Amino acid sequence: MNYLELNIKIAPEFAEILTAELGEIGFESFVDTENGFNAYILENQLVMDDLQAIEAQYQDLFSFEYQTQIIEQKNWNAIWESEYEPVIVNDKCLIYSTFHQITKKYPYEILINPKMSFGTGHHETTTLMIEHQLETDHQNQAVLDAGCGTGVLAIMASKLGANQIDAIDIDEWAVTNTLENIALNNCSYIKVYQSDLQNAPLTEKYDIILANINKNVLLEEIKLYRQYLTPNGVLLLSGFYEIDIVDICQETQKYGFELIATKQKNQWVSLKFVG
Amino acid sequence: MAKEVAGYLKLQVKGGQANPSPPIGPALGSKGINIMEFCKQFNARTQEKQGMVLPVLITYYKDKSFDFVIKTPPAAILLLEATKLKSGSAEPNRKKVGSVTWDQVKTIAETKMPDLNCFTIESAMKMIAGTARSMGIKVTGTAPWEQND
Repeated sequence: MNYLELNIKIAPEFAEILTAELGEIGFESFVDTENGFNAYILENQLVMDDLQAIEAQYQDLFSFEYQTQIIEQKNWNAIWESEYEPVIVNDKCLIYSTFHQITKKYPYEILINPKMSFGTGHHETTTLMIEHQLETDHQNQAVLDAGCGTGVLAIMASKLGANQIDAIDIDEWAVTNTLENIALNNCSYIKVYQSDLQNAPLTEKYDIILANINKNVLLEEIKLYRQYLTPNGVLLLSGFYEIDIVDICQETQKYGFELIATKQKNQWVSLKFVG
Repeated sequence: MAKEVAGYLKLQVKGGQANPSPPIGPALGSKGINIMEFCKQFNARTQEKQGMVLPVLITYYKDKSFDFVIKTPPAAILLLEATKLKSGSAEPNRKKVGSVTWDQVKTIAETKMPDLNCFTIESAMKMIAGTARSMGIKVTGTAPWEQND
């Protein structure tokens, strides 16, 4: 999806008020410039009436001028993705890219060519989730990867013997990238959907659910994980900090999940539940 | 040895909603920083301020690592939050009828103190009240320093 950049000229003392108002009508982020600031919004989210209403509201106090420019979405992460190091988890799982020269063999090898999607193994939460996966029996299990990013966890589930795997993500880049990485790893039976969990076209129950997202989304979706998980299934959660454990566990308890293992690294956490 | 700083970036991003689109994508991506990692960290650290515009100062290093400091939200954002006013009405020339109490102004001033050039809570409150009036938000009641007169 393309973004619209508004290059706004405004007196500095009023920039803060205009920023606050633009935030209320859908603008997502802002960068100061010499004469004001740039404001960014999804191209299809700008309602001109809203913008004009703000102009009218503050006409006695200040005025502003702006020029618009469409910024086409592209892979902004390409530079980093062209020269990172491979990741090894517990000396058992290698996550690497096609440009890496690999000399040593590992029991599990995952080939990921990331394209502006999360999940290369460099982040603590991915590593912790894979550590949990390595200790979880996936053989012939049905697995859901909710918020799949590059698809790394779904592919790991496949390498560990899961025989029915669904992966979902709300982000178009993540879905496309997961499909590419599935092909690289010859796991073509993994099904991928662009959707949130609430609206995903899923009809199955899963033995294992993997969700490395963030605290608020997890709190919102724990009831759905309950719905999609078989009795005594395994739920692996990550994407939050140690200070968030209490809130996450309060919510999981409500739905009958029992915490059976905790992994932590640099304040990041991954929790394993059954229920 | 301390890492060598390559530069700084200042952005304002909604809490919990950083994504690899502009301006984050081009600003960080062009420096070879892993945008996905920044978004994950920023979103995890701002879950309690979901949707609120937050200034963030990013320091990036020659080794392509980064760290960042999240500042307090702008006073105008906190005032809108306090009044529960939502813009976006399709009706031009609409008048806001929001108001905040001096207690609310004090709470906002206390929140903002770390980032304001104010020595006293009173001067911070006067600054916040000035922003409120500019936005058409009425400050109700009597200012604490007037009560003491």
